[in-house]
Amino acid sequence: MIAAAHGVDAPPELRSRLADLYAAYDDALGEGDYERWPEFFTETCLYKIIPRESYELGLPLGLMQAESRAMLVDRVAALRKTTLFAPRLVRRLVSSIVLRAAASNGMRLTASFALFQTMLNEPSQVFLCGRLYDRVVDDGGTLRFAERICVTDATLVPTSLVFPI
Amino acid sequence: MAADGGIGLAARRWPEAGESRIPNWIYTDPDIFAREQERIFQGPNWLYLCLEAEIPNPGDFTRSRLGTREVVVVRGADGQVHVLVNSCAHRGMQFCHTNRGTVKEFTCPYHQWTYALDGQLLGVPFRRGLRGNGGMPADFHPEAHGLRQLAVAARHGVVFASFAQPNETIEDYLGPTILPLFDRTFDGRELKVLGYQRQRLPGNWKLYQENNRDPYHASLLHVFLVTFGLFRLDQKSATEMDGTGRHAALVNQRGEQKLNDATAQMRAFKQDLRLADPRLIDPVREYPGEATVVIQSLWPNLIVQQQSNGLAMRQIVPLDANNFDLVWTHFGYADDPPEMTERRLRQANLFGPAGYVSVDDGEAMLLSQAGFAAAEDGECVVEMGGREIASTPHTVTETAVRGFYRHYRTVMGL
Repeated sequence: MIAAAHGVDAPPELRSRLADLYAAYDDALGEGDYERWPEFFTETCLYKIIPRESYELGLPLGLMQAESRAMLVDRVAALRKTTLFAPRLVRRLVSSIVLRAAASNGMRLTASFALFQTMLNEPSQVFLCGRLYDRVVDDGGTLRFAERICVTDATLVPTSLVFPI
Repeated sequence: MAADGGIGLAARRWPEAGESRIPNWIYTDPDIFAREQERIFQGPNWLYLCLEAEIPNPGDFTRSRLGTREVVVVRGADGQVHVLVNSCAHRGMQFCHTNRGTVKEFTCPYHQWTYALDGQLLGVPFRRGLRGNGGMPADFHPEAHGLRQLAVAARHGVVFASFAQPNETIEDYLGPTILPLFDRTFDGRELKVLGYQRQRLPGNWKLYQENNRDPYHASLLHVFLVTFGLFRLDQKSATEMDGTGRHAALVNQRGEQKLNDATAQMRAFKQDLRLADPRLIDPVREYPGEATVVIQSLWPNLIVQQQSNGLAMRQIVPLDANNFDLVWTHFGYADDPPEMTERRLRQANLFGPAGYVSVDDGEAMLLSQAGFAAAEDGECVVEMGGREIASTPHTVTETAVRGFYRHYRTVMGL
């Protein structure tokens, strides 16, 4: 369910479309279907995972950054074909999605996320948690992320961040 | 006395073969770890702490760690950099608990003892007591109760410190082979921090020093380096070492994505791999000379990364025998045009906890440590390039790993 901040005009149909976008995104990643992931973004999107420390200092460099859908395609190709990593599963929970503003350049939404990581033969553990700062646009009739900034609460990543958020 | 899990250092013997063998117990034994903290991380070595660009003005401070010990690095009113142990002289409390900021003085929250930026004790509440009662003894001298201050050295914007005063300057410490490579990146220009990354790696800290002195793995494990010619042992390259072996640098010159007698032996070489957005790897030359990569591994806690336009300090912070934190400070120069900053940010995708190259290394730390736990009585074979220890005009060698352990054995008495 998508909530709307006070004073933001959010008709039921729009909320439903936004809810579908967030659900489909989480479904694709939840199923490990990373090939579908870039399609949720516009061609000139900005995607970034950044620790809160750097975010609040206004530093530009995060943990992962892409300035185009093509760079997201490269990210998926790398995790499929080129990266060495020990077997693991990452589960994502996204909650409290709020539509904060709607302007001509898109809708601003925020949400909280938690990632749980399960290494092979190990118990599940909290991996990262934080906030999502999104900008969603209508891209030729389809809602897509023009911007997704994932701000992690922790400054520290346990071992490696292999999969996108 | 052996710590839990150790058999005692007296019983430890380095293999007869010397540095071409590394016994697996040096990665797992808590007694070894304790001696490393004492002799290496608190010994007479210059340890990297931070960049001066992080504390440009008087009162600016940042926290950093020398091994397991935390310090506060602060610029004094006179512009001098001071390094203070983050522990109040009164009851030992960590008095600074934010990563950075600007202050006029430090006040411990517990009993409000107040210190100047150079660590001198300025004030003790109720020092004279109250209405004739209590207070500190008449012979209490504040000047004898300042914060512990460390020896500091800085070169071209990079700050080092030591718990034991080294008997050499930072320039002599780096030595004539490494200093010119250091000065190549730190040429005196003002630096600009682009961002921080921290990761906790479930491995022994020495694995990371080895990893960056080991060009053999780089040409086999890292698809991105190998395929796009960013670092490969068939390209013009060199392994540089100082006289002791404690510092090393791998130098490489960018090559092409081309099948040859070397790349044919590299499973990581992917002739058909193409980037959907080639801006990721679009380096431009910015230093004189032919080298496009210089990775410096400095004893004991710093890797200086210059890979194409990706610049970073990688600080090694040991936690215990089985874990260390790796703190990445990515930077550029204050006078970089915006397009150079963009290029550095894009190339940074290769590095850090989510890096196309560095994830491989982080996972290698994890898997190496798991392997040592399965074979603590085993030993590593380090014979690529023979058994000698010397700078070489190529990188088909593990000589810099052997050099590290020659120095390590001397310091550790092993």
